[in-house]
Amino acid sequence: MRIGRFYREFGLAMLAYAIVSVISLKILGAGVDNQTLRTLISVSPVVPICAVCWTILRNIRRVDELQRAIQVEALAFSLAGTAIITMGYGFLESVGYPRITMFAVWPLMAVLWTIGLFYGERRYK
Amino acid sequence: MKNRLKQLRAVHGLSQGALAARLDVSRQTVNALENGRYDPSLPLAFRIARLFDASIEDVFEDQATSSGKQKPRPDQ
Repeated sequence: MRIGRFYREFGLAMLAYAIVSVISLKILGAGVDNQTLRTLISVSPVVPICAVCWTILRNIRRVDELQRAIQVEALAFSLAGTAIITMGYGFLESVGYPRITMFAVWPLMAVLWTIGLFYGERRYK
Repeated sequence: MKNRLKQLRAVHGLSQGALAARLDVSRQTVNALENGRYDPSLPLAFRIARLFDASIEDVFEDQATSSGKQKPRPDQ
């Protein structure tokens, strides 16, 4: 089944991301003097993240037309919502609100994407 | 668009899942088509008509020419 294949590929990519993240943190924690090496090790999790994105894109290309329409609408909702929230909070940061790490952006997008999928699927039931 | 998909499926003794497999779409898509919540693309409409050995007009009814109440589409 298509959906099973997606979860397998996505799961493997996420596992790779988790492993690379843990290893890179351990290495950096042990101390790396060379700045270039420190930079490369710290961004190394981006490689499996690219694999995660690739599995998502592959799945969107594989699914049927209705599911693709639902995904596109959900992604548009996620994009718009993330833009509004991050821009809005950016303005708040300029008046003294606590700075939030960039790591918060992806979880925000993922939550909004999930909400978008939930409502998108309900519309067509 | 109104359609006779459910009737044709019943005549051919197909479940939604079986029809979905033959059309290479998800069961969710078949369900949405039958309930008039989704209109298929032209290639999918042709595949459906060919599967049931019917013309597209035999399967789908143009909303502009149909009579009676329609379930509103999500985008309306």
